Amino acid sequence: MQVRDYEQFTHAVLPEVTAEEFSRQEFVKSYKKHLATQVSPNTKVVYETQVKPAFEKEHGRTPKNRHEIRKAMNANNHYQTWSSLLRTSQEMMWKSCQVPVERQLEKLISNSRSTKNAGGSLKLDPTLDIPRYHTAVDIHCQPGGYHTEVVENDISAGAVYDRGVYIYAMGQLGPMNDDIGASTAAYLKYAYPDLTPTRILDLGCSAGHSSVPYKTAYPDAEIYGIDVAAPILRYAHARCESMNVPIHLSQQNAESMNFEDGSFDLIVSHILVHETSTVAFRNIMKECHRLLSPGGIVVHAETPPFKDMADDFDSFLLDWDTYNNNEPFWSKSHEIDPPSAAKEAGFDPDRNFEFMAPSAFEAAKENRTNVFQGGDFGGGGFWYLYGFQK
Amino acid sequence: MPNDSNTGGVKLNKHAKGPRPQYFSDPASDKLLAMVMALAGEVSVMRDRNDTLERLIETKGLIDRSEIDTYKPSKEIMAERDSWRESYLSHILRIVDLDTGDMGRNDISSEFQDIMDSV
Repeated sequence: MQVRDYEQFTHAVLPEVTAEEFSRQEFVKSYKKHLATQVSPNTKVVYETQVKPAFEKEHGRTPKNRHEIRKAMNANNHYQTWSSLLRTSQEMMWKSCQVPVERQLEKLISNSRSTKNAGGSLKLDPTLDIPRYHTAVDIHCQPGGYHTEVVENDISAGAVYDRGVYIYAMGQLGPMNDDIGASTAAYLKYAYPDLTPTRILDLGCSAGHSSVPYKTAYPDAEIYGIDVAAPILRYAHARCESMNVPIHLSQQNAESMNFEDGSFDLIVSHILVHETSTVAFRNIMKECHRLLSPGGIVVHAETPPFKDMADDFDSFLLDWDTYNNNEPFWSKSHEIDPPSAAKEAGFDPDRNFEFMAPSAFEAAKENRTNVFQGGDFGGGGFWYLYGFQK
Repeated sequence: MPNDSNTGGVKLNKHAKGPRPQYFSDPASDKLLAMVMALAGEVSVMRDRNDTLERLIETKGLIDRSEIDTYKPSKEIMAERDSWRESYLSHILRIVDLDTGDMGRNDISSEFQDIMDSV
């Protein structure tokens, strides 16, 4: 496998791009980078010098939380422009990834059905209901979400997502889009050196970006991944097999899975929680408790919660995706209190942990903004991990 | 030019389900911003393509790229380019030209109603 740190890793089902399609995607990447590094910092200046003083004059006090800041900023023309530009970049990004997939979908599907046998597996369940939190709106504005199928044996959602994630994060997740998984695995190796899981489960694995690094971290473990959406699982299966990494994938909802009690030593999720709901998260935590063996660990990786932001303005910036990028549970999921969640699911609240794990993809380090803000995914340089030991 | 058009016969929906936020007080501004950025994207694509051409031509030894920077168009070529730019601008600014024509009239709705009634 030839991996270069400046471009996405190529495998059997990664869509090919013409020179023009590539330029169109590169433009979106630069456009996003420019917004994150050159335009975004001005939103804080505008807030401090214009919006906040005007608010104070009108109300005789400073805004008391991120919601008041958002309301005040929504009326500011600089913020309107930045926000509109960011939303537009997201729409252009998806389109620039969809067009190449439309053109070659037949070939990609054919490739997906003839990849080598690395020893992984795929089980689909056509009777599974796609939960409302995935159908109410198309999450992060990807048209059709993870679940929409337009042809037989469709993998288009996965093919669009794989390239989209690379451009969305401006390459900051590494050539294999695996930084969240790799950083989480690195933390587990460091914090739990004696942990030798034999079976690992990745919840909401989508294209398998974060599942693959666990095979590198724990070569002797069997890796399982579940997701609600068939087209992305077909894609993930072909991708993993093509990369010669055996992963056992099945179409299931993390709120209710068909695995035996105590059948995993390690359960992980990466940017899954914010794409569910309050009720679903509660159910997922209970399922994690049921599926873990004694001493087993569950860890969720996300962007940091509001309580870890320096001030309400930074919380407001982090909250951009909720209102502007079809992420209805983003805001509430960043208010989750791990000790309470632990208690509710039956875990010992004294055995939960929270950790800011440094990004494992060193090559992106010097170009990062080190800010957690809308449109700059992976720019923070850290992933927020929270977890529980049974 | 390569054919980037969809020849696979598959059509993916290009719009995400869910209401699109309105950022500016006039929704037309949101649309204009999106159009401007789409055009900026296409200019960038053409710029990349031109850059590719120049590099390929130089690699094949046909020109030295500095020749492009020092190129001086002849009188005839300058006139040709002037004429092209003139027609290009009139296409783009067509809507502004209309300000002094029919679009500049205030009573356009009643006038148009008269026309409708007369046909």
